Amino acid sequence: MAAAISIQGLTKKYVDVWQKQEVVAVNNLHLEVEEGEIFGFLGRNGAGKTTTIKMLLGLIFPTAGDATILGRPMGDNNVKRELAYLPEETYFYDSMTGWDLLDFYARLFRIPEPERSRRVKLALEKVRLQPDAWKRSVRGYSKGMRQRTGIAQALINDPKLLFLDEPTSGLDPIAHAELRDIVASLKDEGKTVFLSSHQLADVELICSRVAIIHNGKLLTTGRIKDLTAGERTEIIVQGKELTNGVMDKLKALVPIVEPVYDHTDESGSREPVPTGKLRLSSDDNEQTTAVIDLVRSAKGTIISVVPHKRTLEDVFVETVRKEGI
Amino acid sequence: MAASKVYSQESLQRRRILGAALVALFLLTIPLQRAIDPTARELKKGEVGLTQLSGGLTNEFMLLPLLGFREAAAGLLWVRCDEFFHSGDYDAILPLVRLITWLDPHADNVYVTGAWHLSYNFTDSSERSDRRYIPPSQKLLDEGIANNPNLWEIKFEKGWQNYDKIKDFPAAEAAFEMAMATPPRKDSEDYPWGAPLRVVHTWAHSFEKQGRIPEALAAWKEAMKRSEYFLKKNPKDYSTKQLYAAEKHNYEITLQRYYDRYTDHNHSDVNQTAKLYGKPYPAVLQPVPGDPRPQPWNTSFEPVVKITRAKVFEISGRFNSADGARIDVRIADEDYKPQDISGVLNSFDVPPDQTILMDTISVRKTKFKREMDMSRDVKMYSFSKPYLKIVLSYNPRSTSPHLQDRFGWNGEGLTDDNPNRVWVDKREKMRGTKMIEGQGGEGPVWDGKDESWKVHGQPPRLIKVTYRVATADVLSGAEKTLTDKDIVPNED
Amino acid sequence: MVALAIARQTVREALRRRVMWIFLVIGVFLIALGPVFGFLNPRDSQVVLKSLGLAAILLAGLFITIVTCIYLIPVEIERRTIYTVLSKPVQRYEFVLGKFLGGFATVFVNIAAMGIVFLAMLWMQSPNHKVPPEMVKGVMLTFFQMMLLAALAIFFSTFATPVVNFFLSFAIFLVGNLSTVTESLTTNRNPLVSGVGRVIHYLLPNFGNFNIQNSIIHPQIELKNVDAFIMQNIAYAFIYSAVLLILAILIFDRREV
Repeated sequence: MAAAISIQGLTKKYVDVWQKQEVVAVNNLHLEVEEGEIFGFLGRNGAGKTTTIKMLLGLIFPTAGDATILGRPMGDNNVKRELAYLPEETYFYDSMTGWDLLDFYARLFRIPEPERSRRVKLALEKVRLQPDAWKRSVRGYSKGMRQRTGIAQALINDPKLLFLDEPTSGLDPIAHAELRDIVASLKDEGKTVFLSSHQLADVELICSRVAIIHNGKLLTTGRIKDLTAGERTEIIVQGKELTNGVMDKLKALVPIVEPVYDHTDESGSREPVPTGKLRLSSDDNEQTTAVIDLVRSAKGTIISVVPHKRTLEDVFVETVRKEGI
Repeated sequence: MAASKVYSQESLQRRRILGAALVALFLLTIPLQRAIDPTARELKKGEVGLTQLSGGLTNEFMLLPLLGFREAAAGLLWVRCDEFFHSGDYDAILPLVRLITWLDPHADNVYVTGAWHLSYNFTDSSERSDRRYIPPSQKLLDEGIANNPNLWEIKFEKGWQNYDKIKDFPAAEAAFEMAMATPPRKDSEDYPWGAPLRVVHTWAHSFEKQGRIPEALAAWKEAMKRSEYFLKKNPKDYSTKQLYAAEKHNYEITLQRYYDRYTDHNHSDVNQTAKLYGKPYPAVLQPVPGDPRPQPWNTSFEPVVKITRAKVFEISGRFNSADGARIDVRIADEDYKPQDISGVLNSFDVPPDQTILMDTISVRKTKFKREMDMSRDVKMYSFSKPYLKIVLSYNPRSTSPHLQDRFGWNGEGLTDDNPNRVWVDKREKMRGTKMIEGQGGEGPVWDGKDESWKVHGQPPRLIKVTYRVATADVLSGAEKTLTDKDIVPNED
Repeated sequence: MVALAIARQTVREALRRRVMWIFLVIGVFLIALGPVFGFLNPRDSQVVLKSLGLAAILLAGLFITIVTCIYLIPVEIERRTIYTVLSKPVQRYEFVLGKFLGGFATVFVNIAAMGIVFLAMLWMQSPNHKVPPEMVKGVMLTFFQMMLLAALAIFFSTFATPVVNFFLSFAIFLVGNLSTVTESLTTNRNPLVSGVGRVIHYLLPNFGNFNIQNSIIHPQIELKNVDAFIMQNIAYAFIYSAVLLILAILIFDRREV
C-alpha cells in the first residue's frame, strides 16, 4: 500500500541564543503511515508530537530531514487541499457562528457556492451538532460542541488525510464515545488518520498501528496487535532479604520491579505507605519460574502470581520507562 | 529560534521572484519621490519650523503641528483671536497672529486683519494710533505678499495703509500696481483682471495725492474701460453701473479742476488779469482781495506751542485759509526713526523707548487750537530721549478740493510771509506734474492732454515749522510757551 | 480569492474592536464641532471647519489605522487561529495580503464615514450649499496616506509585538511627515549630513507628501500641476505599500507559528 506520510530523518532543533542552549524537539524521526489506516502517534507531553505535525503542515520548518505527504514533498501548498487538521485546542474566531466559521474555512478551499453551503450542512450533520446551534456564535458553545465544530472543519474539504490532535480530550463520556466513533468511521471512508492522543484506550480501539516517541526520538512503532502480544504475569512477593541484595538480581530477570504502597490507612492520610511487598512483571514462563526460585531462595514469600493480557498502556509505560525516566 | 531550517523549493523560488520585485519597486520610488519633492517644497514655502513655533505655543497646541495639523492649530488660534478682538484685548491678539501666520502662511485674511490691528487699533486715550506699530505691520504684510504672490488682497491692504495711514502715496501707488499685476483667476469675479475695480480707484486717487494728474486721468480711464467690459457682459449689474458713473465723474472733475486751477480756459472772460497784465495767469495764483497782482496765497502761519503741564501741549495759532484746512502735528523724539525690521519678524514688539504722536487740527475761521495730552498713556509715550521735535505743517496735497482750487495740487499758489515756513520737499519721489512756470518746478509744463505724461518736475510746497524742546521741560510740569528760539530748520 | 476571504473575515474581526469605534466617534465628534464656529464670518468659519475636519480625519484615521493593523497578524498567532488557516491551501503571501486588504478596507470604511460627515457639514455650512471638490481630494489623499501606514504596520506586525509596533509605526509616521526637512538635508554642504539625509528621505516612507491641506483649504493659492502631484502621490502610496507588503511576505514566509 502507498505511504500517506513518509518521514525521513526529520529533525527540529531550537537554539536559545541567550542561554546558549540547544533543545532538540524532534530527533531524526523516521516514520511511515500507510494510506487508509488510522495511525496512533503517542508520547508524553513535550515529546515532540505537535512539533512533528506542525512541520508536516508547514506551520514550522524542520532543521533537517524530509517528508512526503500523499506523494508530494512536505511544504507543497497544493497537497493541503487533501489535508485536514484539528489542533489540540479548538482555536476559532469566537465571534463567528458555527455556520459562518465553516463557510470561511470552505472558502479557503476555494469551494464555490452552492457546493459550499451543501458541504457545510453535511459536515455539521455528520458531527451531530444541533441545528439550533449552527447560527449561534461559537463563543457560546460547550467543549463538546467546539470539538464537533473542529472535526466538522476538518471534514469540510472531504480530505484524504486528517491530522487529529487530541480530538476527544476533555469531553464527557457520551460525547467522547460519539466523536471516537466518528473518527473510527473515517477509515471506512478510505481516509487516513494521523491521530495524536493520550486516550490510549481509544487508540487501542480504533488504530491499527502506533508509534511512540519520547524526547523527540522514535522509541517503537508497529501494529498494536504485535506490540501487545503476549501475556504478562504479575507476581507479588515479600521478604526482608529481597529489599537488600536480591533486588538487583530480580531487576536483571524481569523488566518491572517496584515496591507496593498502601495508599490509604486508618488515619485517612493519602501519603502512600510502603507495605514491604514488591510487584514484579514477567513476560514469559521462564522468567516467572526464575523469579519464584530466587524469591524462595532468599526466604521470601510468594503472595500471588496472576497472568494479565498486555494493554497498549502497558506497552507505552514500559517503552518509555526503558528510556530511563 | 532554530539553528538552520529546511525550506521547500517552491518557497525558495518564490523568494527570488519577490526579492527581485522588491528591489525594482523600491528603486522606482526614488525617482517618483524626486518628482514629488519640488511641488512639496513649494507647498511648505513660508511655513516656519517647529523650533520657532515652540516658543509661542502651549504644549497642547504644539501637539497639533507636531502631528502635521498646522492648519487646524491655526484655525483654532484664529477663533481665539476673534474672541480677544470682541473683548477688546488687542494685546493678546498679536502673538496669536504671529503664530497663525507661521503655522499657515496662506491665511491671507490673518495677514490683512493682523496688519490692520497693528496699524489702527493700538491707540492712546484720545484714539490716536500708536505709530510705532506701523513698521511691523508693513513687515507682516510684506511677508504675506511673499508667501501669497497670487493674492491681490494683501497687496491692496499694504497700499491702503500707505494711502490712508502713513500718507506715503508713492508707496501706496506701488502696492496698488502690484495688486493689479496679480495674475487673474478664471473663477474670480474680476476675471480677466487680477484685482477688483476698487484697487484701480484707489490707485487713481494715489496719483491725485501725488499731484500727478495725467496718470490719475489715465487711471480713471482704465477703470472706465474695465467697467464697460463688465457692463457689456452684464448690463443689469447696477453696482458696476454706479462704479462706472463714479469713475466718469472723477475723470471729468479732475480734468475740470486742472483747467480751473491752472489755465484760463474756463474763465478768460471773468479773469481780467490778461487785460491788466498782458497775460492770463492760472487760478492758483489768484490775487489777494484788493491787490490785483497775481501772487500766491499768504497763509500767515502763526503757531503757538505751549507746555501747559507735564506731558501736555496746547497747540494753537492762526492759519489764513478758508475752513477745511488741517494742520498736521507731529511730536516725536528728536532722533525718531521707524523701527528697522530686517530678517524674520519674530514678534510685533515695539521699542518701548520711542515716543511719537501724530494728529491733525482743523482750522476754523483762520484759527486753530487743540490740546495734545500725552500724560495718560505712559506705555505709549515714554519720553525717554533728551529732546523732542514738534513739527506743525500744512500739506496742499492732502487738503480739501476747495482749498486745492486756490493752492494747487503742489502748493504752487501757496506762500507765507515768513519764508522759513515755506518748505519745498525736494525728494525725487515727491515730485508732481509741473502745471505752470515760475513756482520752482523743473522740466516741461504739462500740455493738459497727454495722459501718459511721466515727466514730473514740480516739488510740493508745504507750510512747515519745526520746534525742538528738551524733554526735561516737558516732564517738569512748569508752563512754558515755545518761542522762535526753539524753532529749528525743517527736515524731510 | 483566498486573500479576499481572509480580508472579509479580517474586516469582521477589526470592526469589532472597541478602540477603533472610540477613535471613529472622536473623529466624527471633532468634525461635528464645525458649526460651533459659525459665529465667525462665513469665510473664516469655512477655513476653520475645513482645517478642523481634515485634521480630525487625519488624526482619527492615524490611530484607527495603527490600532487596527498592529493586531491583525500577531493576534492570529497568539490565539492560534492561524493554525486552522495556514494548515489549509493558503499561501503565506495570501494570508499577509488578505490581512492587509482587510485592514485597508476597515480604514476605508472609517475614513469614508468621517469623510461623509465632513462633506455634509461643509455642504450645510457653505452659503451656496456646495461641497468644494478640493475637499474630496483632501479626504482621498488622507486615505492613501493611511493605506501606506497600514502597509507599514502590517510589515512591522510580521516580527514585532503590537506594543512595539505601535511606537515604531507612530514614530515613522512622525518622521515621515518631516519630509521637507529630510529633503532639505539632502542638499546640505556637509557630505555626511547630506548622505544621512538622502538615506532617510528615500528609505523611509514620506508621509509628508500627502499633506496638502494648506493649499486646498486656501484654494486661491494656485499651484501648478496639483492634479499631477496628487496622482504622483497615489502612485507613490501604491508602490511603497507594495514594497512594504513584499517585505512583510518575505519575513512572514519564514515565520514559525
